[in-house]
Amino acid sequence: MICCKECVDLLYEYIEGSLDSGTTKSLEEHFQECPPCIAFFNTYKSTRTLCRDTLNEIEIPDEVRHTLQSFLKEQKKQQEKK
Amino acid sequence: MSFTQQKEEREIEEALVKDLQAGNLEAYDKIAESYQKKIYGLSFNLMRNQMDAQDVTQEVLLTLFRKINTFQGKSAFSSWVYRITLNASYMKLRSKKKEPNVSIDELLPSFNGAGFQQEKIQDWSENTESLLFSNETKDVIKKAVDLLPEKEKVVFLLRDVEGLSTEKVSEILDLTVPAVKSRLHRARLFLRKKLSGYFEEYRSKKGEA
Repeated sequence: MICCKECVDLLYEYIEGSLDSGTTKSLEEHFQECPPCIAFFNTYKSTRTLCRDTLNEIEIPDEVRHTLQSFLKEQKKQQEKK
Repeated sequence: MSFTQQKEEREIEEALVKDLQAGNLEAYDKIAESYQKKIYGLSFNLMRNQMDAQDVTQEVLLTLFRKINTFQGKSAFSSWVYRITLNASYMKLRSKKKEPNVSIDELLPSFNGAGFQQEKIQDWSENTESLLFSNETKDVIKKAVDLLPEKEKVVFLLRDVEGLSTEKVSEILDLTVPAVKSRLHRARLFLRKKLSGYFEEYRSKKGEA
């Protein structure tokens, strides 16, 4: 049976679905015997989702959007003069 | 997004880039509109400062405009935009005082000689739904990401936050695919550990109440 360290090393590929069937089987057998690794796997997956959802919330604030718009307008004007 | 949609989008973008290279200013508006949120979001997540992210976004939009003729189409246009964004953000970060980086190794999981988990692992994954909406949780997450060393942080932001493919990230950063995977895995382990501290404390507080 694989040990916890090997299990953690394989999590990335396991989530990607890129492990061969033999390795997937060994990993899943390990999970059955090892609740801490299941907890580790669940929290590893949650970490990814939590960080993605939080950091993806960033919107351009209105004042920045206005500054960018005037900046682009100015750039275009200068370009048209050339 | 389906493969056909992706292909269509790529073709539209390629046409826009060609138009811009030919001096069409309307194409510039469209490109700026479709990229400014990505540029701002990535630079903000790297610098966590509105003014700096605004400066970088302006600079990148200007570079796209001025240097469009140096873009040769060897990589995807979006990869080129991300690279310019990263360079501009790093220049800005370098001009500021740097916070000392935490060593990532200290926060990686530890195992005993036989390779078994040494620490107690709690499963907090089911508690996160209700917690995610609290500003405190969001702050903890942002601070944890800010603490990531630069090399791991950029891979994490591009792959897990922006949702780009591993291959695309390797193209943008000029890294091998295995290097991208290994940095991403380390970043996730580091963040998992950081968030565990917070969520486990929350659980124990809730248990006491």
